[in-house]
Amino acid sequence: MLALRDVTVGYGKTPVLRDVSLRVDSGRIVALLGANGAGKTTVMRTVMGLLKPWSGDVRLGARDIGGLRTARVVRLGIGLVPEGREVFAHLTVAENLRMGAYTRRDAAEVAQDRERVFRLFPVLGERLGQRAGTLSGGEQQMLAIGRALMARPRLLLLDEPSLGLAPLLVREIFQVLRQIHREGTTVLLVEQNAHMALQVADYAYLLETGRVVRHGAPAELLEDPAVKRAYLGG
Amino acid sequence: MFWQLVVSGLATGCIYALVALGLTLIYKATEHVNFAQGEMAMVGAFLGYTLYTDLHLPVSMAVAGAVVLSGVVGLVIQFVVIRPAADQPHFNVFIITMGLSIVLRSLAGLVWSHDEFPFPGLFPVRPVTFGPVVVTPLNLGTIAVAVGIMAGLFAFFRYTRHGVAMRAVCERPEAAQLMGVEVRRVFAAVWVLSAAVSGLAGALIAPVLNLSTHMGAVVIPAFAAAILGGWGSFPGAIAGGMALGVIENLAGGYLAGQIKNMVPFLVVLGVLVVRPQGFLGEKEIRKV
Repeated sequence: MLALRDVTVGYGKTPVLRDVSLRVDSGRIVALLGANGAGKTTVMRTVMGLLKPWSGDVRLGARDIGGLRTARVVRLGIGLVPEGREVFAHLTVAENLRMGAYTRRDAAEVAQDRERVFRLFPVLGERLGQRAGTLSGGEQQMLAIGRALMARPRLLLLDEPSLGLAPLLVREIFQVLRQIHREGTTVLLVEQNAHMALQVADYAYLLETGRVVRHGAPAELLEDPAVKRAYLGG
Repeated sequence: MFWQLVVSGLATGCIYALVALGLTLIYKATEHVNFAQGEMAMVGAFLGYTLYTDLHLPVSMAVAGAVVLSGVVGLVIQFVVIRPAADQPHFNVFIITMGLSIVLRSLAGLVWSHDEFPFPGLFPVRPVTFGPVVVTPLNLGTIAVAVGIMAGLFAFFRYTRHGVAMRAVCERPEAAQLMGVEVRRVFAAVWVLSAAVSGLAGALIAPVLNLSTHMGAVVIPAFAAAILGGWGSFPGAIAGGMALGVIENLAGGYLAGQIKNMVPFLVVLGVLVVRPQGFLGEKEIRKV
């Protein structure tokens, strides 16, 4: 579905990713692991068109989407739950969800998807009229995911959904992630929490200072001494 | 006497409020401070004047046309002057809009001359009496139109897809992009809306002030109004505009001519000392 080939990209004159190649096949959950500053978020931003690759290409199916405007990428069916949630704090929960469905004109199905979001995150249904800024961190993360789902993406990118959340909430978020995946959405997940990510993923890439240094099935990575040492606490 | 001053003050205040709303729109969406807002109002009024005198349109059509043409002017300005400078520091854009205000005034002078012209009012000026209060339909009509537009804007931002998207862009442009919003288009739309609202303000105040290229000075009380109400707040711009108009008029009615012009700004200063964020502004917390 999504494939990056030899992508080099960065900010200003400094490259952050060097010759990164990775694939997310349809129907999978792929995890992208790595320490802070390894370039995980940069991968996401490049896919979404927020950064234009310096070289290499980004393909969605057969289509080259490298450097396409973000609004166009969204319309092609890719959604991003950004790092730090980025909910619209001054907008109500209902308005945030409405923004998620901004590209859609099929009101009846949008209403269905809203119900689906409330099924996944019942708390959002109870907070519809509340400003998003007044929600707790966990609720904001749920809203950020729900908002992304409202666009009905074929491919959902999640950037550190567990960041700053209590372990119980993290588990809840990951359960919902599995549910979303079961319902047919392909997922690319960026995580520092390698344990959690490897539990849900079908395949994983390990990023170190802008390069893919390992990739494979979670079971292989879990056994890899280097991965163990660096990300799984020995 | 008092109530008359209040009503006509509210009418002027509505004009300030509209121009302040125009400033706030642009500021909230792009963080740019548009010093040419008053000149945009002035150009709008002149366009209405041309529609009225040269094309012989009825006043209401001329004013409506002024609003539409002002929007077009806003779009052109955004495309030609603002967009190319969008990545520059905000202060540069501020200076650009200052230059723009001078250019607009000169261009208007070239086209229409720097004379004063009588501008037809949308409403009659002959006073009517409500109990002890004598007011002109012009004042009441100005208030009604302005309040109607404000209510319309409120409904737009609250209930429509594009209105909600504009608020989203104001808050987090990048996240709005991730929702599929074409942010650059929204910025252009904001300039159109802002210019149209200011054009309406220009056409509403022109009958009172007489139409001239100096009308752009309305941007100063509009800035004061927006700051008084709370810089960056839409309800604040409205409240600040109304308050400033009334205070100014009361000062004009009761105080000596030499000091009346100072009073509104003394009030603004006073309020800001006590409440730096203005009436309705949110307190800005700067982290060191």
